[in-house]
Amino acid sequence: MERKLNAELWDKMHYLFRDFNDRMVHVELHYDYEINIEALKTVLICFFEKAPVLHSSFTDNHISPYWSVRNYRIEDVLTVERPENLEEAVNAFLTQYIPPESDLQMKVAVFFHEGKSVLCIVENHMCMDGGDFKYFLKALCKNYNDYVERGISPIDLKHGTRSYESVYSDFTPTEKRMAKNLYKNVCAKDDHKFPLTPDSIRDKSFIARRKIDAERFLKIKQSGKKHGATINDMLVAAYFYSLYELAGYDKSESVTISCAIDLRRHIHDASEQGMTNHTAFMQCSIPERGRDIFETLKYVVHSSNRFKKDKFMGLYGLPLLNVGYKMLPHAASEEIIKIGYSNPLLAMSNIGILEADKLSLEGHEPFDGFMTGAVKYKPYVLLSATSLKNVLTLSMCVRGNETDRETVELFFDLMEKNIDTLIADAD
Amino acid sequence: MDSFIDYIENTLKDVPDEDNSLYRYKRKLFDTMTERANEVTQSGLRDEKVLSDLIISEHPDLKKDYENFYLADRAKRKAENFRKFLLVGSVCYILLLTVLYLGVSFITHNWAQTWLIMLGGITLLVDYLFTVGAKAIARLKVIFHPIARVMLAFNIMLTATFIFLCCVVIFHLPMSWIIYLTAVIFIFAADAAFLALTKRKLAIINYLLYIPGAMSMIYVILGLLDVIPWDPGWLLMILAVIIDILIVVGIIVENSKYIYKQEVEDVWDEQ
Repeated sequence: MERKLNAELWDKMHYLFRDFNDRMVHVELHYDYEINIEALKTVLICFFEKAPVLHSSFTDNHISPYWSVRNYRIEDVLTVERPENLEEAVNAFLTQYIPPESDLQMKVAVFFHEGKSVLCIVENHMCMDGGDFKYFLKALCKNYNDYVERGISPIDLKHGTRSYESVYSDFTPTEKRMAKNLYKNVCAKDDHKFPLTPDSIRDKSFIARRKIDAERFLKIKQSGKKHGATINDMLVAAYFYSLYELAGYDKSESVTISCAIDLRRHIHDASEQGMTNHTAFMQCSIPERGRDIFETLKYVVHSSNRFKKDKFMGLYGLPLLNVGYKMLPHAASEEIIKIGYSNPLLAMSNIGILEADKLSLEGHEPFDGFMTGAVKYKPYVLLSATSLKNVLTLSMCVRGNETDRETVELFFDLMEKNIDTLIADAD
Repeated sequence: MDSFIDYIENTLKDVPDEDNSLYRYKRKLFDTMTERANEVTQSGLRDEKVLSDLIISEHPDLKKDYENFYLADRAKRKAENFRKFLLVGSVCYILLLTVLYLGVSFITHNWAQTWLIMLGGITLLVDYLFTVGAKAIARLKVIFHPIARVMLAFNIMLTATFIFLCCVVIFHLPMSWIIYLTAVIFIFAADAAFLALTKRKLAIINYLLYIPGAMSMIYVILGLLDVIPWDPGWLLMILAVIIDILIVVGIIVENSKYIYKQEVEDVWDEQ
């Protein structure tokens, strides 16, 4: 008998984002040895069985959408290759698109090259966000190691509810009722765009990356402390300043960047819950560019502090979405929500640290790697940031052409320049 | 797989068998586990130990599972027996009713009125069956609830029709049709009760509509019966609106306790 899974609120929301991005989350990890493929297959099968949404097909039912669990073969999930051109193979794999209607929602590849391995994973954002994807990776590595080294069956993966309501689980009844009354619509209303070329059917997905070395990354932390700013604030300030320079916005104009926030901050223990999405956005606005980047940083710190002091940070609008999806059939509620929702043109997701020790396989820590969000369709952009072994990777996934790639590279040049300015006084 | 059998037998060895359901549970569980193992094997899992651990991990609490199985099984059997009882009981009831109707009719020779016994009995049976049906439907998804609500309304109208016919045929009461206006009030009340019992969100909207609806019926009934004059009897309508307003104010006051006032202020003004 066909097994069906409930399509949760965030599954539906990410499905609605199909007009703005390809909904794929990507990760690339480099290891200095050859991964044991048979062991990896075993771990992956166990994980797919523990999280059936990964081998399910999404049905866009007009009344109530759902996931149908599908049979699969591990060979369809895991690709193993020894490519001539590693970079090309990795990029080709990472920029693939998995339709939600397909039988698998996650694809894994291992590329062997000169005695080393590159582990690449692409998954549908409807299944889980960066927060849980990081958990998935750590669990994958831990289970792989336990299996290879001690013969322990790789079945230690959290599972449980995927409902958005988990964010309320640790609130008192009064707080819960308050949080469920937060009907405020928190949409980005800013017309400032990243200067990309107009849409074209010739456009192709690409992932642009820029590494900030460990020395500079540590200086970002030190300089941030001096200015009462977090790493995120520092990056957002550089993002703002670079945008003003790149796109030529008027210095007096107010600009908004939507920053992803992890709603798991409201959950004390998420280990009893299934892998899902718990991400919202906060609108980080600055009233003007400021005289220099330090003034921009001051504005950013002010803006982000407004959110940090809020007990219900990120929970605004969830009850409204819930009512929207519950009261009407799915097809109608999508149309209504589309009217009230405006996708941010400029966004940032600080995915955070990829802990090398927890991502080690058989004692081999990844020596390079990054995680990044979905490929955005023009004019939307998302800057992702991850760090591994204190090396920061900025990445932007865009569906565009060579001119767009050059623009993104120029943006990264400006980011680097502005980060250098910010950290100049770190010592 | 032997590991499944060992797991099932060892875990459930102290559990008492009630109504032979333990064996059925074990058999069902073993079949499910074997089927799952075949599925996972087809996906490509070759390691027997991992396969066994994986499938067993999907059933971590067999005792609780068995308890649920036993309760569900008992409820299922009860429901099945009840369905049989309804079927046989309804037939017997109709037969008895017919005997009663014919008996009373032959004894009293009052055929012009005794048919109401038959009608009343059937009304009672239909009301009962529909109430049972509505109760069962109320346990299903919300999308099916309108069916139960229509069934309850139908019950009320059917009962009203029987009472109306009694008033006309036996008591020859004038304006017996007022019964139907009263039935409308009962329909509103029954629907409101249904919404309250099924804890429907936004039921308040229905209540706010039903109060003026029911009050207008009361106004017409009392006016027709000359209990109150038409004017200023219309003030009942104003009373309904006032009750609605009071309810809305009460809800707003109650909800205001749960409105979160953000503890931060916009800092831009301080620049």
